[in-house]
Amino acid sequence: MPEVPRMNELLILVFGAMVVLGAIATIISRDLFDKLISLGIIVAGIMPFLADRGLLDVLAATALIAPLSTIFILMAIRRKKDGS
Amino acid sequence: MNGYEIALALRVVLEKDTMRKLPFLNVVSFAISGSIVLLIPHPLAIVAAAAYFVGSTLESNAIASTYAGGPKDE
Repeated sequence: MPEVPRMNELLILVFGAMVVLGAIATIISRDLFDKLISLGIIVAGIMPFLADRGLLDVLAATALIAPLSTIFILMAIRRKKDGS
Repeated sequence: MNGYEIALALRVVLEKDTMRKLPFLNVVSFAISGSIVLLIPHPLAIVAAAAYFVGSTLESNAIASTYAGGPKDE
């Protein structure tokens, strides 16, 4: 059986720190667009964990649903800016 | 794959200008989709990585387009 490369401890720490950093930045930042960008960092951080377990179908579905949710939030932001 | 993504994510978070954050977010997403391909030697991995590549680029472009004002419809 061929050797299957797995995530080592350094990569687990790096991507976990990325998710935590994105969450903290989402809470702290004041601008709505900055919050959306930080949410993008969170989604980027969870993708290698899905790939590490071999959940490729879940990964593809998440990669297509997450930008869709961002676009829906953007529609709400744009309507709020037009109304004010 | 070597963990440089955390430096890029830190750069995104510490940047003050919103418009300047977006290219770094795009670079983070490209690095992540490269890491996905390098992590799993499976034929379906390239499909998932391509889906994430397209999705993240669409997300960044949607944020930038809305921030810049969007299409002017009168």
